[in-house]
Formats: sequence, C-alpha cells, structure tokens
Amino acid sequence: MKFVSIILKNLFRNKIRSLLTVLLMGAIFFFVATLLSILDNFEQASTANEGQNRLGVQSAISLANMLPFSHEAKIQKVEGIVATAKMQWVGAYYKTQKNFFANFAIDHDKMATVWDDYSVPTDQMKAFLSDRQGAIVGPGLAKRYGWKIGDRVPLTGAIFPFNPELNIRGIYKHKVDDSSFFFRMDYFQQSLGDMGEVGMFWAKVTNPAEMARISQQIDDMFKNSEYPTETFTEKEFQKQFISMIGNIKLLFTTVSICAVFMVVLLAAITMSMSARERVTEIAVLKAIGYQKGLILTLMLIEFVMLAAVRGLVGSLGAKIAYRMIDMTAVTQGFLVNFGVSGKTLAVCMVTALIVGLLSGGFPAYRSANLRVVDGLRKVV
Amino acid sequence: MTALVRVDNVFKVYKRDQFEVPVLNGISMSVGEGDYVALMGPSGSGKSTLLNLIAGIDRPTRGRILVHEKEVSAFTETKLASWRARHVGFIFQLYNLIPVLSAFENVELPLLLTKLSKAQRKKQAETALEVVGLGDRMRHYPRQLSGGQEQRVAIARAIVTDPSIIVADEPTGDLDARNAEETLALLETLNRDFKKTIIMVTHDPKAAARAHRTLHLDKGVLAEQDTEQPVPESLAGTKP
Repeated sequence: MKFVSIILKNLFRNKIRSLLTVLLMGAIFFFVATLLSILDNFEQASTANEGQNRLGVQSAISLANMLPFSHEAKIQKVEGIVATAKMQWVGAYYKTQKNFFANFAIDHDKMATVWDDYSVPTDQMKAFLSDRQGAIVGPGLAKRYGWKIGDRVPLTGAIFPFNPELNIRGIYKHKVDDSSFFFRMDYFQQSLGDMGEVGMFWAKVTNPAEMARISQQIDDMFKNSEYPTETFTEKEFQKQFISMIGNIKLLFTTVSICAVFMVVLLAAITMSMSARERVTEIAVLKAIGYQKGLILTLMLIEFVMLAAVRGLVGSLGAKIAYRMIDMTAVTQGFLVNFGVSGKTLAVCMVTALIVGLLSGGFPAYRSANLRVVDGLRKVV
Repeated sequence: MTALVRVDNVFKVYKRDQFEVPVLNGISMSVGEGDYVALMGPSGSGKSTLLNLIAGIDRPTRGRILVHEKEVSAFTETKLASWRARHVGFIFQLYNLIPVLSAFENVELPLLLTKLSKAQRKKQAETALEVVGLGDRMRHYPRQLSGGQEQRVAIARAIVTDPSIIVADEPTGDLDARNAEETLALLETLNRDFKKTIIMVTHDPKAAARAHRTLHLDKGVLAEQDTEQPVPESLAGTKP
C-alpha cells in the first residue's frame, strides 16, 4: 500500500503522452468491443428460435419462386403436423426506402399456434384478428417510429404493387426479435387480386424427433410436381445462418486479434520509452536499496494498470455509447437489442491486462535487472 | 580512529567489447568512523569507481571491501541492496530526485523499505528536511526548487535512514558558488554534528579543503596517501 502513491504518480507522469495513448488504445478496445458485440448479437439471433418445432417449406427452385395455396392442405395432412400457416416476405417500407424493416403477411388466425413464441396480450390479439388491416409490431420498431396502438401506418411496397394502410393493433414480446412487422395474409392477397400463391409455409409439429421424417415426406410429396419444395427445420435454417456467420466470426476474430496485436506493439513502444526515460531514477532506487523484485513489481503494476485504464476507457466507452445510441435504428434493424455485454466487457478487460503484462513485461524486467552503475552512468 | 571502511588490495577491470580496461590497480586504504575524506584525481583516475565499490553498487574484480569488518564485496545482490538501504546515503552530482514526487516523497523513498509506520516515516522525513533547511518546501516538486534546494533534498534523502556512511559524487559539480558553499557547509555539519562518515569525490580543491583529508588517485592507484588537512578551528575539538 505504501508504494501506491509512487505507482499512481508514475502512471500519468507524461500527461499528454498518457492521454494520447489512452485515447488511441481506448479507440482500439472500443473497436474490439464492438466487433465482439456484433458476433454476440449474431449468435444470440441465430439461437433465438431453437426448440420452436417449426418446419419451413419453400420452393426448391429459389426463394423468389412462390408455392400454390393448394400445397398447404396436403402438408397439413402429413402425420405429426398440428398446424400450418402461410407467410410472405412483403419487403415494404415506411415513408422512405431508408425506413426498411422485416415485414410479413401471415395467416392471422394461426399466429397464436404456429408462432407461439411471439406473445401478444389477449385484447390486442383480438383486435388484430377482427381488423383486416390490423398489424402486430415489435416494441423496438414501435419505439423507433413512435408508433402506438391505434396508429394508422401506410407502407409502400417495393416487391409487390401493394401499398398497405395498416392499423397497429398489438405489440408483441419476443426474447430476441423486437423489430418485425406482421399483418394479415387475407388483406395482402385481396389487395393483389388473390394470387393464390405464397412464398412460404410454416408447419408446427408435435414431436421434434420426427422433424427429419416429416421434412422428407413433404419434399417427396411435391418432388415431381410443378412446384417442388425444400423443407427445413428451424435448426437447419439456423445452422445455415451460423455457417454463414461462421465466416464472419473468423473474419471478426482475425480483425480483433490484429487490433489487439497493434495495441500490444503500441503499448510496448510507450512502455519501453517510459522505462528508458527512467533509467537513472531506477538506478537511484536500486542504489538506495530497492530490490530487483520490488522494482519489477512496481513497474509491472504500473504498466498493467495503464493497460487496464486503456481497456476500460475503450470497452466501457463502447458499453455506454451503445446504450445511448439506438443501433437498431442506425442499422435499419440489422442489429437488434445491440449492446456490449458483461462478458464482452470482461473479455476486453482480461485482454487489456494481458496486453499490459506482455508489453510491459520486457521493459520492466530490463529495468529491474539494470546495473546500478550503468543506470547512473557516470553520476556515481 | 576506528576503521569503518577498509579497502584491501582492490582491483577493478572493466570489459569493453574484447578489451579489458584496468581502472583500479591494487588500492588499499581505510576510512575511519566519523571521517570526512575527499577523493581527487583527473578524469578516468578511478575515483568514482572506488566510491561505487565502497558504496556497494559495484563489485571489485579482485580484493576486498570491508565495512564494519564485514566483507560487503562478497554479499549477494539482495543482501547488498538491504545493506545499502541501512548503511549508505547517496548524494549525486545531478541530485537525481524523482520529478513526479514532492520533496517530502523523495525523502520518504528510502523509508518505504523499512517497517516504520506512516506517522514515523512522516516524522523522520520532516526532520531530515528540517535539518537541511527545507521544512517549508516539503510539498514542492523538484521543478519548483532551485538547484541548491534540490541538492539539499537529495542530502535529506541521503540522511533520512541515519546511515553510517554518506557517499557524495561531485555534490557541488552542478551548483553555483553560493549553493556549492551551502552544500559543503551542510556536509560539514552532518560530519561534525551528526558524526556522519563522508566520502566525497570532487574536482574542486575548495571542496576538498573542507574534508579532513584528501586522497589523490591517478591511473587507478593512490598517488598520495592520507594527505591530512589542517583541521578548521571550528572542528579542532571534534576531529578524532
């Protein structure tokens, strides 16, 4: 404890250099915290719907190809399926194309059974079911555009010649997704002159162990039809998503490691400079009786503390910044519930401490092993 | 006079790349307890090296250094550091204070190695600063002090642990005449009133004249042994 004052005073002995390096390395830690948080966010999204026992059925030709309504009745007959529902990605926007978010037309009467992980208060669900132009939205989306229940929201179609006028009837709760927009399939179909086709069916199954068998059975059923299907479990869909983000993960991890390596080098340079500037002081300390081990400890504590300050400024700065910035709005719904988690903060801080040890270890060791007469040069 | 320091046939050879440079060639001398010795000689004569060896911050290539009859030149590095902390006070030409620490904190530095309580350390550091006449400059940082004041802080740091030997290398080398005079007067007081044994390297004959005796080194050997100085009247009664 009695050496604390020496350590603290040495910590910021060169205020401008300390401030600049704290800002520079803090910025790098901010960047690393951001990358790690994006990865966290992706992983969270990819596992959000696990265990929902849902099968998605889409065209085997391409996502852009539609499937006839008649498929639904056949799918429903497959043993083990309890409910099916149609879903169409509409791709409309609000006011300007910049205001883009996920919006779907769905079978409104199946929402409570097929998408039971989306919870909607009973009165709001009732209002949605009784209004052909009703819509259920995520809380994040409602907050972003200032919508409240009862508001009328006009959307402009980008894929279909369809500009729906919708009434917000409910706000759902979901553990991850807070920015989707659902409205009724009957309104969508009628507005487009009853196409009789849809982009996708979702089927809820009772026993998850039978999902592979059911998928196969559905695809076999339409194999030789004009509209072949590709059925996938939600988990398979997520696996695809994870394998896609797997590459992103590798990329982000590599970039993060490069950034941390830069921090190590920068810290090593500044710490070596700091140690070199103090050669005479260290020699004096050794001359008056400070042991090698004590010098090493004092310098290492100082360097590690300095690295910790830099890490804290960056990662805590990121945490505070992302708490203040609505990243869902900034990224147009790409990053939902984005923030720097405690885990990411801890990873950054541990990394900062390791950076301090790695970069400060050598200069501190050299200082501790300095010969007094060399340090004092010709003074004594 | 009891011999406090005994230098016994000491050689020191430095290695510069593949060359060996002999600096001290069989020096033998002794310094009594309470003595005040000046080491003089041209640059490269080995006076600073001899001072380093006596202070225990360097080791002889051959020969022995004994202080209080203990062979300090044979101590391990750890033991030597502890010994220096207890027995040696250092005064440097360029003061060598830690710039980020106040005068008080600089003086307190050697005491941090002791088991003294915070209050005891404070009392001792304040006393040392009072002795050197800087009781009113304790919270000042080195940059806020004059050269003479910095050197006095360094002297306070050297005496704060009450060491038996004070080694000073050109303590007035970086000071103007007035501050040099004050510093020399202070060293004289430490020797006379506090019975400190002082070994001082100097190029200045006036500074050397303040010592009890002057040893001249030339090319690593003592050119003149024990040149006794006329003892100033003020010290006549105190010199052993």
